[in-house]
Amino acid sequence: MNCRDCLERLDRYVDRELTDAEVEEVKRHLVDCPPCEDHFRLQVHLKRLVKVCCDQGEAPAHLRAKLRQILF
Amino acid sequence: MVEVAEDAAETGGPAAGGVPDPSPRADGDRDRRDRETAPRGFAEEAIGHLDTLYRGALRLTRDPAQAEDLVQDTYLRALRYQNSYQAGTNMKAWLFAIMRNLFWDRFRGGRPEDVSLDGDGEVSLYDTLRDQTAMPEAEVLDRIAADEVVRAVERLPELHREVVLLVDVEGFSYKEAAEVLQVPIGTVMSRLHRARRQLQKALHEYARESGIVHADRDR
Repeated sequence: MNCRDCLERLDRYVDRELTDAEVEEVKRHLVDCPPCEDHFRLQVHLKRLVKVCCDQGEAPAHLRAKLRQILF
Repeated sequence: MVEVAEDAAETGGPAAGGVPDPSPRADGDRDRRDRETAPRGFAEEAIGHLDTLYRGALRLTRDPAQAEDLVQDTYLRALRYQNSYQAGTNMKAWLFAIMRNLFWDRFRGGRPEDVSLDGDGEVSLYDTLRDQTAMPEAEVLDRIAADEVVRAVERLPELHREVVLLVDVEGFSYKEAAEVLQVPIGTVMSRLHRARRQLQKALHEYARESGIVHADRDR
């Protein structure tokens, strides 16, 4: 696998959308290729950061109360 | 380092494939639910997704009042069409699909299929390689305030933002996201790729402007 192939698969690698065989190929390339590994680390970091930062906060209590009235 | 690769890949997101119900329940709850009438079980399960739907609505509308309206309308529509929901399938995805369609109908005057797409063609790998100099280092991201990350997500074009919400925030597989968005998986992938590039650029700009990284570190 060359860098082009690796970068083309990086999103799917990070999102766990590759087959086991493809995962192994990407892993093998990353071990030997620091620039691609930098790309990979950045992608993983970004994905985690977006998850952590956007996944905070609760629905307002009055909205929950109103919906309970509607639903039950 | 392969250790890093393995560790991060394992926690990078859920495995592909449908997850019937993303919120696990205790067996006692399940028994109780089974004893209840179907509509009440439906309502219980639906309201269990309220917080995550509200957060998604807030990211889509960027306005608390509109987010409340959108969520309320989503539940009203879900209640009306509850017979079309198959028990045991992914209710979160079903609710997100309703909310997302309402968002486009109500707040944007039409489904995005009717809106001109924003250059949603092939992802150019050349662009990715060329843009390397505009990327922050992974460690730099940790020094960026959470508010700024949320702002960067909220500034994404809506078609890109909704994919990031589904895949990165909610942990949907590409297939699930494609079903919610009613687009091919390839479109999910290209929008996601573009969205991430935009986020990287935006956060890099912010890091530079706020002095987290200095301009002379840019090559």
